[in-house]
Amino acid sequence: MYGKGLRTLSIATVAMLAVGLSLVAFYAPIETDQGFIQKIFYLHVPLAIVALVGFVVGGIFAIAHLRTGNRKWDAYSYVAIHISVIFGVAVLLTGSIWAKASWGHWWVWDEPTLVSFLIVFLMYATYYPFRYAIEDPERQARYASVFAITAGAFVPLNFIAVRAAQSLVHPRVFATANGGLPGSMMLTFLCCLAAIALLWVTLVKFELTAKSASGQVKRLRRALDAPSTSPSSRVAPEVS
Amino acid sequence: MHALLASAPALPLGEGGKYVAGAYIVFVVLLVVYVGIMAAKLQRIERELRELAGFAEQRAGDSAGGAGDAVAGRTAPAGLRGGAPADGSGRGAEQPAVSHE
Amino acid sequence: MTPSRAAFAAILGKDLRSELRTLQSLPAMALFSVTTFVIFRFGLDRTSLSGSLAAGVLWATLLFAAVLGINRLFVAEREEGGFDAIRLAPIDRSALFAAKAAALLIYLLALELIAVPIFGLFFLRDLGGLAPLTLVLLLADLGLAATGTLISSMAVNSRARDLLVPLVLLPLVVPLMIAATGATEPLLALGGPGYHRFGTWLMVLGLYDLIFGLVGYAVFDFLLED
Repeated sequence: MYGKGLRTLSIATVAMLAVGLSLVAFYAPIETDQGFIQKIFYLHVPLAIVALVGFVVGGIFAIAHLRTGNRKWDAYSYVAIHISVIFGVAVLLTGSIWAKASWGHWWVWDEPTLVSFLIVFLMYATYYPFRYAIEDPERQARYASVFAITAGAFVPLNFIAVRAAQSLVHPRVFATANGGLPGSMMLTFLCCLAAIALLWVTLVKFELTAKSASGQVKRLRRALDAPSTSPSSRVAPEVS
Repeated sequence: MHALLASAPALPLGEGGKYVAGAYIVFVVLLVVYVGIMAAKLQRIERELRELAGFAEQRAGDSAGGAGDAVAGRTAPAGLRGGAPADGSGRGAEQPAVSHE
Repeated sequence: MTPSRAAFAAILGKDLRSELRTLQSLPAMALFSVTTFVIFRFGLDRTSLSGSLAAGVLWATLLFAAVLGINRLFVAEREEGGFDAIRLAPIDRSALFAAKAAALLIYLLALELIAVPIFGLFFLRDLGGLAPLTLVLLLADLGLAATGTLISSMAVNSRARDLLVPLVLLPLVVPLMIAATGATEPLLALGGPGYHRFGTWLMVLGLYDLIFGLVGYAVFDFLLED
C-alpha cells in the first residue's frame, strides 16, 4: 500500500516548506558579499544536495534489486532517479539564474559544482533512452539497475575530477558559504534542506502510489478479461 | 500583522530581488507542472476504473441473466473501446499502440 | 590454472587472434584518428598545436576512435552465441568482462602506438612530452577499457546499439577526460614538458580505473543472467 502515510507526509512537507520560506524571507540576514541575491542559495543548494543524494539512493535501490531479484526495487530505483532528474532541472535553472545575478552570465564554466552537476545530470538523462532501447522488461530492469549503480559510483568521482580541474585561484562560493555560515543562516539552510528532502520523499511516494494504482487497474483488467484501451509504457517499470 | 509587514523586506527589485523571485518562481512552476502531469495520470486511472466497473457490471448482469451470449459479451467491450477518448495519446514516452496483457 | 583464468586466457586469445585475422576494428580506429587529425588541422586552421589545444584535439580524437572499437566489442559474442557459451560454462562469468576489457585495452594501446606518433608528426614542434604521455595514456586506457566494456555489453543486446554506446558512455568518461587532458596539457606546452599537478591527475585517473574496474567486475554477472 503505497498511498499509506502520503497525507501525513504531504502535510509535513508543506509545513516545513512554509517554515523554511518564512525563515528565508523574514529571518535570514542579508549577506554582505552578494547581498539579497544570496537568498537563492537557500533554494538552489538544498535542491542540489537532495538531487545528488537521490541519485545515490537510486543506485542503492538498484543494488537491492540485483540482490533480491524483486522488481519492486527496480521501480523504486526508477522513481528515485526520475524525481532526482526533475530536481536536477530545478538545480540547473536556479543555478543559472544565480550565475546571471552574481556574475552577469547565464552560464559559467568557472563554478565547479555547477559544471559537475551538469555532467551528472546529462548522464542520468541518458537513463531514459537507455531503458527504452531494451525491449525485454526483465532485462531492461536488470540493465537499468547496473546503470544506476555505475552512475551512482560516478557521482562522487565526477565531483572530485571537476573540482580538481578548477584553478585554485578562483574563489569558491560554496566553500565560503558552508564554511563560515553564521548561526541564523545555518538554521535557515537546514530548515530548507529538511523541507526539500521531505518534498523529495513525498514526490517519490506520490509517484509510486500512482504507479501502483495503474498496476492495480491492469491487474483488474486482466482478471476481468477486458481489452485494454490505453498504451502501456515501455520505459517505466510497472508496480503491482 | 502590520508589524510583520513592516519587518518583512519588500523585494528590493533594484538589488537583484527579481532574480531571487525568479528562482523561487521557477521552483514553484516546476512543482505545479509536475502536479499537473500527475493529475492527468490520475484522470486516466479514474477513467479506466470507470470503464472496468462498467464492464464488470455488464458481465455480472449477463451471467445473472443466464444469457452468457458470446455475441452479447463481445459487443460490450467494443462499445467501451469506441468510448475511449484520445486521452492516452498525449503521453510522450509511451507506445501509441493498443496492447493486450 | 583455475578454470576462470583459463577462460580469461582463452577468450582473450580468441579475440586477439580473430582481430589479427580479420583486421576489423584496429585499422578503422587508426584511419579514423588520422583523418580526424586532418579535419582538426583545417577546422582549427592551425598547423601546430600546443598546450590545452593539443591535449584537447588528441584526447577527443582518441575517445571517438575508441567508441568505434567499443561498438564492435561484443558483436561476435552476440552473433555467434558467445554469451550462451559463457552462461553454460562452470566459470566465473566476470572472466568474460576481464577478457574483453583486456582485449579492448590492447586495441587502444595499439591504436595509440599508431595515432600518437602521427599526431606528433602533424602538430607537435617538441616531442619531449610524448614519453611521460605514455603513462597518462595507459591509465586512461584502463579506465576507458573498463567502462567501455561495461556499456558495450549492455548496448549489444538492445535496439539502436550504435547510438547507445556514444550516448551513455561519453558522460561516464568525462572525469577520465578531465584528468587525462589535465595531465597532458602541461606535457605538450610550448616551452617543453611541464608536470604541473601531474601527480594529482594520475591519482584521479587511478581512482577512476579502480572504481569502474571493480564496479564492472562486480555487476557483470547480472548482465549475463537469462
